[in-house]
Amino acid sequence: MIELKELTKDYGTTLAVDNLSLRVSAGEIYGFIGPNGAGKTTTIRMMGGIIEPTAGSIMIAGINVHKNPVAAKKIIGFVPDRPFLYEKLTGMEFLKFIGDLYRVDLSSLYRKSEELLKQFSLWDWANEIIEAYSHGMKQRLIIAAALLHDPKVMVIDEPMVGLDPEAVRMVRDILKGLAAQNVTVFVSTHTLSLAEDLCDRIGVIHKGTLIAQGTVAELNLAAKTGEARLEEVFLTLVREV
Amino acid sequence: MINAVWTLLTPRLLSARPSVQNNRRSRFFFFFFIGLIFWTGAFLIFYRVLTYFQSVQDFGDILAMKLLSMMIITFFTLLLFSSIINSLSHLYLSRDLSLLHSLPVSVVDIFRSRWLVSAFDSSWMVVAFSLPVFLSYGLVYHAGIFYYLITFTAIVCMCMIASALSSMVVLLGAAILPAGKIRTLFVILGVLLAVLLVVVLRLIQPEQLVNPDSFASVVLYLNSVQALNLPYLPTTWITDTVRFALKSEWSSSGLNLALSTSFVLFLLFINETTAGIIYFRGFSRAQTTPKRLFKPVTLGGKSWEVLLNFLSRPARAFAVKELRSFFRDSTQWPQLFLICALIVIYLYNFSVLPLDRAPIKTIYLQNVFSFLNVGLSAFVLSAIAARFVFPAVSMEGEAFWIIQSAPVSMKTFLWIKFFLYYLPLLLLTETLIVASNILLRVTPFMMFLSVLTIFFLVPAIVALAVGLGARYPDFKSENPAMSATSFGGVLFMLLSFSLIASVIILEAGPVYRIFMAELHGQALSVKQIIRLALSFSFALFLCIFAVFYPMKLGEKHLLKR
Repeated sequence: MIELKELTKDYGTTLAVDNLSLRVSAGEIYGFIGPNGAGKTTTIRMMGGIIEPTAGSIMIAGINVHKNPVAAKKIIGFVPDRPFLYEKLTGMEFLKFIGDLYRVDLSSLYRKSEELLKQFSLWDWANEIIEAYSHGMKQRLIIAAALLHDPKVMVIDEPMVGLDPEAVRMVRDILKGLAAQNVTVFVSTHTLSLAEDLCDRIGVIHKGTLIAQGTVAELNLAAKTGEARLEEVFLTLVREV
Repeated sequence: MINAVWTLLTPRLLSARPSVQNNRRSRFFFFFFIGLIFWTGAFLIFYRVLTYFQSVQDFGDILAMKLLSMMIITFFTLLLFSSIINSLSHLYLSRDLSLLHSLPVSVVDIFRSRWLVSAFDSSWMVVAFSLPVFLSYGLVYHAGIFYYLITFTAIVCMCMIASALSSMVVLLGAAILPAGKIRTLFVILGVLLAVLLVVVLRLIQPEQLVNPDSFASVVLYLNSVQALNLPYLPTTWITDTVRFALKSEWSSSGLNLALSTSFVLFLLFINETTAGIIYFRGFSRAQTTPKRLFKPVTLGGKSWEVLLNFLSRPARAFAVKELRSFFRDSTQWPQLFLICALIVIYLYNFSVLPLDRAPIKTIYLQNVFSFLNVGLSAFVLSAIAARFVFPAVSMEGEAFWIIQSAPVSMKTFLWIKFFLYYLPLLLLTETLIVASNILLRVTPFMMFLSVLTIFFLVPAIVALAVGLGARYPDFKSENPAMSATSFGGVLFMLLSFSLIASVIILEAGPVYRIFMAELHGQALSVKQIIRLALSFSFALFLCIFAVFYPMKLGEKHLLKR
């Protein structure tokens, strides 16, 4: 479902992503972890069609994101790491805006928006301008908006930042539910316990290069850490590079 | 204490360091060059006016001093307005304030550092552009070095008085209302005041000055201006400081300067004492959750979606988003008042033109004015486009990722932006040109030519604004509307003015020949017809080029980001 081939992003002064290749199957939850500045957000932004790669390709459900961005974006649900929104719109108006851009069926748009706002505990705030929302509420609204058009692939950068424990659990359950419905989830996170609990496979990126990937057991094997927790595995792998 | 203020100022000072990047340096020189042109222009105009005044017997000196007094009042009003906006922003609304208030420094030190920055930001431009005025006075009156020193000190005092008075008003206001609402209130009041000033100045009818019959009223007018020089106004002290220094009456000049300086010190003391008591309370109030000032706008019970139902879904989504964001951002409203005032004054000017009394053949003059009117209307359009259309892409702000990740191509996004502004601006400019042409009573040919020229200039100027706005976006600005004064904004104005001038020049020659031929009852020669066709075709080509090239440039830049 997701295929990155020799993906490279060179900012001129920094080589953010270096020759990255990986595949994620349909219905799989793939965790993407790495230290600060490793290239996670750059990779995710390239997958979301926000920045173009210097070299290599990104295929989402067989569609080349760089060559056919509009078709690819129609099936992607993108959640950035920072919840910047149109502050002067209300939550409901924002979902309507997103629904129109993604051409969500008009007959179901209002019902779906209501369902999502209720699911993310935002219904009481639906008609308040986003400017008045807290950081966590904005993050919840962005995740709700990303789900509005029933995406086949979810690309999420740091989903849990700013969320309260209840919302963290809810988002985790939602992502698991999506995977069960054959939706592919690519999630970058610093919360290693979440990655351990949620992801089928995990990729470790460091200095723009994918240094290891697999299940937690496979990563333990690669790091020669026995049956250690992901945190220990991660630190060992990063230290070795 | 001084150390704390200095430390608080260092981030600002360090970020103002000249950049070593080549493009930044070239932008600096670009702005320096533009500023120098304006500065030289202002100096030459004032020098010429003052030299002329000197040649007027008896009245010359009075006129020069009246002009000085009016200039100082104007500068002071501008400073007050600019300081209120700056103080509000620096003291209550800047993003870094939360960090500053979490640091182990006193509230008064924070206030002092922010006040200094605010005073500098609101004053430097007024000071820079007031210098040619005072320099021309100095040269015309053959003043010595002390005049320049005293005048400079007086200008600094004027800036500090304006800034201290403004911060006092803002401090007191923020203690009563949340800062977001005061900004709305101040901006609206300020612009209403500015509109009122412009309308009053317009109603004074300066065109009557050329009519000797009304000279008696000018004397009355001069007398009425005297009323502004009240002895307890700071502007009077500043004016008198400069006025007496010009005439080398040092003791009187010194007394007024002492009055100004002591008033500055008094205001600073009051400000700091007040800040110590109420600044933090006001800052806390500014942190409250923003609420809508008014209920959502619905037109006759219909929402924007219903009214714009004829558009495609993405286009409607963008249009509705843009309209809602615009009308809910209270800082945008005063701009609308300003545009309305600008248009009313523009049309009013045409209605009072004394065409019947002109010595030149009226029909010729009316048509010349009509031709100039095309240029002026396009200039008005450029100014509106610089303020509203150029920042349109930057207005997406940090939420631009939504556009980048949405299944809408960058080309579509930019063209939707273009049409959102093109249609209302076309309607506005065509209305303006038709209404002013009716007031000028022009011939049907000139009416047709004006309407047609504007029809092609509007899309060109709008596309130039959208395209350059996309080429030079600023998604991180706290106030994207200010991007009109950025490098890209100034470049847009220059290119827009060049385009308008080129089109007018290309049309002026052939139109003049048509008029001359008509006036003498002759037919145009084949050569003249070919030149006419070539000129008009080239003007059309320029407009079409200005529509597509900047849009392509903007699209390419946004995709490469």
